[in-house]
Amino acid sequence: MIDILSGVQSTAAALDAERTRLDVIAENIANANTTHGPDGKPYQRQMVVFESALKQAMNGSQIPTLQVAGIEKDTKPFEMVYEPGNPDANSQGMVAMPNVNIHEEMADMISAERAFEANLAVVKNSRAMALQVLSIGKH
Amino acid sequence: MIDALFNQPDYLAAKKQLDAIALREDAIASNIANLETPGYKRLDVTPEFNAQLQRACADGNSQEIAGLNPQIAVDPNATAVSPDGNTVDLDNELLEMNKNSLANTMETQLITTDFYRMRMAITGNAG
Repeated sequence: MIDILSGVQSTAAALDAERTRLDVIAENIANANTTHGPDGKPYQRQMVVFESALKQAMNGSQIPTLQVAGIEKDTKPFEMVYEPGNPDANSQGMVAMPNVNIHEEMADMISAERAFEANLAVVKNSRAMALQVLSIGKH
Repeated sequence: MIDALFNQPDYLAAKKQLDAIALREDAIASNIANLETPGYKRLDVTPEFNAQLQRACADGNSQEIAGLNPQIAVDPNATAVSPDGNTVDLDNELLEMNKNSLANTMETQLITTDFYRMRMAITGNAG
C-alpha cells in the first residue's frame, strides 16, 4: 500500500495506544477509593505496558510502531488505613485501600496527554508535507 | 526523447531527496510513537545516503543518482535519555521533524521551478 501521508501508520497506532493508557489512568483514578471490588478485594492499580511492533514502511522495509502489550496489575501492597467504622475493616479496624496514588496518576496522565499531542503534531506535519508534494508543478 | 528532460542530475537528485524525506518522516513518526517504549532505539535515514548523493551530484552522474536507495537504520549516535535505554528525545525529534518539513518545501519548490523552466523553454512564454 502506498501512503500519501508518510509515517501515519505508526502515529495512528501510537494515538490508539496512548488513548488506552488514558482510559486505564481514568479507571485507576475512578477507583482510588474502591475498597470492595467484584471479587471482594480492594481495587488493584492497573498499568499499560507498551511494546513496539514492526509494520511495513514506504520502501518495503520494516518500521516499528507502538502497540499495547497488555494491561498489567500493579503488585504494590495495599495501603492499610485505620477506619474502624468502615464495613470492610478487619478485626483491628484496619481497611486495605487500593494501591492507587492519585499524584502518580495525574503525572502519568499529563505525560500521556503530551505524548498524544506530539503524535498529533506529526499528523499535522505529514499532512502539510503531503499537500506540498501534491502541488508540485503548480506555480 | 522526453526521458532526457527528466534525467538531469539536479532533477533526479531532488527526486531522491524527496524519497529520503518521506522515509525520514516515517522514521520520525515511529520515534515519536515509541517515545515511552522501553529499550526503543531511535531510527533515522542512514548518513551514507547524503554522502553518496553529494558525491554523485558533484560528479554529475545521473545513473549513480538514480541508483541510490535511502535506508532507515538505528541511529548509532543517539544516547539513552531514560534509564530503560530508550534513545528518543522529544525536543530533538520535533526539531528534526520541522527541519524535514522545511527540506520538503525546498525540494518541492526546486522541482516546481525545474518544471517551470522547462515549460518556458518549450513554449517560450512564462505562463
